[in-house]
Amino acid sequence: MQALAEALRDLDEQKVYQLVEEKVKQGIMATEIIAELNEGMVAVGELFAQGTYFLSELIYSGEVLTNVMNQLEPLLKGAAAGKSCGTVIIGTVRGDIHDIGKNIVISLLRGSGFEVIDLGVDVPTEAFAAKVKETGAKLVGLCALLNFTYPEMKNIIADMAAQGVRDDVSVIIGGAPCNEQVRQFAGADFYASDAVVAVNICKNVYKC
Amino acid sequence: MDIIKTIDMQQLYEERLGRYQAAIALEPTDRMPLAMGSNCFSEVYSGASIQEVTYDPERWLQVEMAFSRDYPEVDVARAYRIWPPLWDVLDLKTYRAPGRDLPPCSQVQFVEEEYMKNDEYNLLIENPGQFMLERVLPRIFGEMSKDSARSHFAFLKAGLAQGILKDQMRSIGTQLQTQCGIPGPYMGAFRAPFDVLADGLRGLKGSLLDTYRQGDKVLEACDVLVTIAARGALANADPLKRLPIFNPLHKACFMSPKQFDTYFWPSYKKLLEIIIGSGYKVRAYLEGDWSKHWHHFLELPKGTVLCDIDNQSDIFQAKAEIGHHQCISGGIQDSMLILGTPQEITARTKLLCETVGKDGGFLINGGCSIPYDTKPENFKAMVEGVMKYGWYDKSIKHKPKQMPPVKNEIPGLGPQGMITPWEIKKAELGGVLGDEQLIRNPWERIEAMAYNWVCSWH
Repeated sequence: MQALAEALRDLDEQKVYQLVEEKVKQGIMATEIIAELNEGMVAVGELFAQGTYFLSELIYSGEVLTNVMNQLEPLLKGAAAGKSCGTVIIGTVRGDIHDIGKNIVISLLRGSGFEVIDLGVDVPTEAFAAKVKETGAKLVGLCALLNFTYPEMKNIIADMAAQGVRDDVSVIIGGAPCNEQVRQFAGADFYASDAVVAVNICKNVYKC
Repeated sequence: MDIIKTIDMQQLYEERLGRYQAAIALEPTDRMPLAMGSNCFSEVYSGASIQEVTYDPERWLQVEMAFSRDYPEVDVARAYRIWPPLWDVLDLKTYRAPGRDLPPCSQVQFVEEEYMKNDEYNLLIENPGQFMLERVLPRIFGEMSKDSARSHFAFLKAGLAQGILKDQMRSIGTQLQTQCGIPGPYMGAFRAPFDVLADGLRGLKGSLLDTYRQGDKVLEACDVLVTIAARGALANADPLKRLPIFNPLHKACFMSPKQFDTYFWPSYKKLLEIIIGSGYKVRAYLEGDWSKHWHHFLELPKGTVLCDIDNQSDIFQAKAEIGHHQCISGGIQDSMLILGTPQEITARTKLLCETVGKDGGFLINGGCSIPYDTKPENFKAMVEGVMKYGWYDKSIKHKPKQMPPVKNEIPGLGPQGMITPWEIKKAELGGVLGDEQLIRNPWERIEAMAYNWVCSWH
């Protein structure tokens, strides 16, 4: 593992910024820098899965990554984009406005090389199927914090079937009130018990 | 006839309260109390919408009374404490309400933003009341951005609305006591200092990043918030000290043990010691997975903090690790109450009564609450299960505990914050001609009430 990946893994924020700046000055391609950062984020995810890191470390590393990505964005324009693992559509379902869990998953997914379409919170039922049709994404993530959302998860999946896109996608549910029983009720394909599990499911579906 | 009914209700009230108090104190009870702290199911009993019961206190009372009549086995009612008209007069930005900007069947939801900026810690630490008035309230009260007449009028209306809410709370509590013989689960509320910072001021992301970037300031701010939280809690608690004070806990589940031990626990422990030292018990709603943190409750006196255990934690582990020292509550997954069958609930209730509840110190519950969408037949199965499997000693007759002695000095409680201390006012008046205390005491009492109110919007 190179120094930049290590610095991100170890949550050494200032060192990450310093190393990125040096690499940019040296003319190293942005895509190469991002690949190294992705390696660091994967290591953060592994430490979380081992129980060494907690959600606060995921949030912190996600913040550092977002800051660096904002800095690198202008350098990416015109350059050949790095290879994306695939596209994931994600949103907090109708009636629920919580987004902390969703945002943690998004930063880990982006850190692992996925393209993420964030539909936000309190997302209308039909918006998920419409976005699948528009983008051809193979994965949809439904998030919730409140337990009155179970019927809405079921509605969204029924709407995907009615719109003829259900068989084209895998649906993951996640968030505090979810579990295997809720997955079965909603008719989803996967239940992610935490953010790293969600990323691993995405990797398996897209085989990357 | 009515007198007999009143006596019966008083007797029933005392029996239920005594049973609940004994369980919290880890003392023997006749049976496992049915004392869910946040029984949302009862709020919407018999088909009321969440908007109806949230906006209309009369409707709330009707529903709670109907619930109590149909479930006489349940020992505590739902606590009434939220009334969105108070928010509406201020155009409060931090909450969305059912029927206003959420569907009528949805529950109240908090809108988390950075209402305090990352470079404002010194302002909060140096003068919290002034900081709230000048920085935070203008960001969260939409009416303050209107013209001065409307802004001033909004504060007047909010003060009046706060008075109405307090009257409603008292009236509902009295009616439930005298007509249904049922106590509330708690009275008054407070949050841990780090939660005050992370919920209403800096937000989760802001506050967690601050622990990495300016940890000293986070600690200083949490220390300042101890007395503010304690005074806010004591001001609204049960004056007779019969009921615990509610303590929802929000952000600890995101923290590593090291972070918790450094940034959350020290100020929270000081606060709990003040509350407990003043003669109150606490009902702590441990949101999320607390299994890495809950061992700290062993540091507090035995039987003082009733811990509601959420869906993400294991109730058996909680029993083994802290159940010998504090009463715990939980054990049924919310999803089972909403989606499961009465047979599953009966089996789970039996298991809980025979294991974690075997020797008392346990209150059956969902993950901290009974969900709004609980199937009625599942709730019934849980109640019937406790009445069948939850008995310990039918010879015990419960009476409420004696009120602890009133203390003039509460250990650890810092001075009351003020915006305009009496000395300043007195100087502005150029002294007073008569008995100063007759003027000073009410001045300070109202000043304290207003100060605690301003700080309650953290």
